[in-house]
Amino acid sequence: MHVDNLPVGSHAAPPQGDRTPSPAPPVVTARRVTRTYGRTRALTGVDLDVRAGEVLGLVGHNGAGKSTLMRVLAGLEACDEGTVTVGGQEASRDVAPGTGPFRAVRMAYQETSLCPDLTVAENIWVSSRHCLPRLGWRRAASRAVARRLDEMFPSHRVAPRDRIEDLSLAQRQMVEIVRASLVDRLELLILDEPTESLGPDAARSLYAYVRRLTAQGTAVLLISHRIREVLSVADRVAVMRDGAVVAERPAAGLGEQDVLALMGAEVVEPTATPAPARAAGERPVVATLRGATGHGLHDVSITVGRGEVVGLAGLAGQGQQQVLERLWRPVRRDTTVAGTRAYVPGDRQRSGVLPLWSVAENLIVTAMRGLARYGVRRTGAEDVAVRDWVDRLAIRGGADAGMTELSGGNQQKVIVARAFASTADLVLLDDPFRGVDVHTKTDLYTLIRQEAAGGRSVVWYSSENAEMAHCDRVYVLRAGRVVAELTGAEISEERIIAVSFAESESTGAQR
Amino acid sequence: MTNLVASALPSRAGWRRTGPAMVSAVAMVAMIAVCSSLQSEVLTVPGLALVLSTTVPLVIAAQAQMVLMAVGDIDLGIGNFVGLVTVITATKLVSSPGTGALLLLGLVAAYAVLGALIHLRRVPSLIATLGASFVWLGLGLFLLPTPGGSTPEWLASFGSWQPAGFPAPLLPILAVAALVWLLSARSSVGVRVRALGSNPVALQRAGLRPLAARVVAYAVAGGLGVLSGLVLASQTGGGDVSSASSYTLITVAAVILGGGSFAGGTAVPWGVAIGGITLGLVSVVLSLLDVPSNMQSAVQGVIVLAVLAGRVVVGKVLR
Repeated sequence: MHVDNLPVGSHAAPPQGDRTPSPAPPVVTARRVTRTYGRTRALTGVDLDVRAGEVLGLVGHNGAGKSTLMRVLAGLEACDEGTVTVGGQEASRDVAPGTGPFRAVRMAYQETSLCPDLTVAENIWVSSRHCLPRLGWRRAASRAVARRLDEMFPSHRVAPRDRIEDLSLAQRQMVEIVRASLVDRLELLILDEPTESLGPDAARSLYAYVRRLTAQGTAVLLISHRIREVLSVADRVAVMRDGAVVAERPAAGLGEQDVLALMGAEVVEPTATPAPARAAGERPVVATLRGATGHGLHDVSITVGRGEVVGLAGLAGQGQQQVLERLWRPVRRDTTVAGTRAYVPGDRQRSGVLPLWSVAENLIVTAMRGLARYGVRRTGAEDVAVRDWVDRLAIRGGADAGMTELSGGNQQKVIVARAFASTADLVLLDDPFRGVDVHTKTDLYTLIRQEAAGGRSVVWYSSENAEMAHCDRVYVLRAGRVVAELTGAEISEERIIAVSFAESESTGAQR
Repeated sequence: MTNLVASALPSRAGWRRTGPAMVSAVAMVAMIAVCSSLQSEVLTVPGLALVLSTTVPLVIAAQAQMVLMAVGDIDLGIGNFVGLVTVITATKLVSSPGTGALLLLGLVAAYAVLGALIHLRRVPSLIATLGASFVWLGLGLFLLPTPGGSTPEWLASFGSWQPAGFPAPLLPILAVAALVWLLSARSSVGVRVRALGSNPVALQRAGLRPLAARVVAYAVAGGLGVLSGLVLASQTGGGDVSSASSYTLITVAAVILGGGSFAGGTAVPWGVAIGGITLGLVSVVLSLLDVPSNMQSAVQGVIVLAVLAGRVVVGKVLR
């Protein structure tokens, strides 16, 4: 990656003048922007300026509010309070992407927003149809996309007639970035983790193009958790924490450790090698992964002892769910699981609740088979178990309530209780407490500790680092590798943030 | 590593998409070969015209089904809808052509409204179209309780048109496939419709309205359904609301055979034409083979399953 972070272009702020205001006018301004989803306050009052001709890096940990802010700036969502001004025009409450002032704001999404069944040129039409002729749009789109791909990624090997589903992940990402950049007037380009699936060469040529764009006066907002990359490309860095921008600094003179500190990480030198896998005390081992590789994992070794709560931490999507998947379905030779398992999904709406069933039925469905005799249900025993769990977790509404009548937190209690009501030896938790209120969380943390004391083993993935304090041991994953194993007092939010961002020397060398 | 792309990828991808249609093309040729071995006259122009004529309304109805499957929906009412069109053709279109034509246009509009309802009320298309199919059936029975009626003269003469050089049924099959291809693959309307089936989130992020795309798709499907009913009436010379009830599921099979998918996003008009002809020929082959008529449905089902299984195998091999 480039190390020089001298800003390019006449509009950009001089690197040393950190207190003098930039001469360039702001393209997009956010003032006291808040956004609430249900009980979660995703944005708690964001103030941010993106100025013409600059690259602004935006960093923050899971749930800091980066993606919500991006959605507001791109016009996908309106903010609850505060104002967003684009090109001097204040955005109205009923926003729509690509309309009004937001026409000049374009965003390349991390997960892409392409239609897999359509060709590259057709996807360009979908997003840039305003700038294409009515007749002959296909040829115009093909020419434009081919030219821009050549400019941005000389080694792209994508033809405008290729369908997206036939492209590799890296090529899809290239097309997505090109798609976002193709518009008649581009004032702000938002790049959300653009290099996540690009190779180093493609990343280099992308950033070379970004510099050319900013030289022409376009602003670029770069979101990435690769802090070194942000520091080498950006002119300024904005740090988000708990739904607000807590710091804005010029990138020049800023080091990786400084940014980590601003994000709330405890500044420690990242341990060069992960701590050696400690034998889980004298506990018998329930499950192991030995050098698991493939499906997004690289040489992941994990052991789970009886009665142990093992946490999986790190940024979202770094392989934690794949580890759970391996443990849930131990079909490969590198995975051994002794005993039965239960799984608590994080997305309760999609894969958790049986919405037409009552609380009692939802709760007992896993344990039912264990309680039954010769395949015939024993409703008496089921009732006892259900009543016990409803009392223990204080599930509002009682056993006979309909599942959908409950609040989200109470639904989540039922789903967690379902797993623990079964006789499973190993309970897998897939970030189950997202968006759950504090009281419920406290109840469930207590439950997890009680059950572990009773000899159950728990593997717990959470995107909330504070939750990891309830674990005996925590594995921090990054890019499908275990980068650290923390035990006991080492487990702290600050420490987890530090290791999940810091690119340790060993992974850097392998790149 | 990620930007290493196998150079063979595009051609392989092309094979994967055309594979299913190839399988059903092979099945189609095999069936024509079986027919001609039983009846050598099948390979003459009038013979082919006779064999293919029964497949024409089915192929057109299958194109209607394909348009809806391209947005990710399934139409369980197309069979009764085609039947209702034959009834209107045999009654009102003969007695008062103006009212009849308006009624048929009204049916197309009804399909568009159905699409809007499905989108706005978030009703699963399976449920909504199944419900609509009973409405079509009821309307058809109300207009014409027993099969009968006659067809307008112009339609009857189209049905009995016998050009010398080529089998007449090929003309409507190819013309409709070409029309649907132009609409779905070449026009921007088709891009909207396929984008809706492929990734509705992307459509919304681009500021396009999914509702409009769905309504257009349903209106096109309704129009094709009316066309299918007109052709069916021209062949049978009358109206019968239950004459096409088997179309509902056969059209779905034809789309799958032609390379479409339940997930939506793909439009394969040429494949659907081949798949529709293949499935239409099954009953011709069975009657030429002297399979007892009360066994025909069962045997037809087994053949459809076999061809669909072949398509799945080909899809797996080419993945």
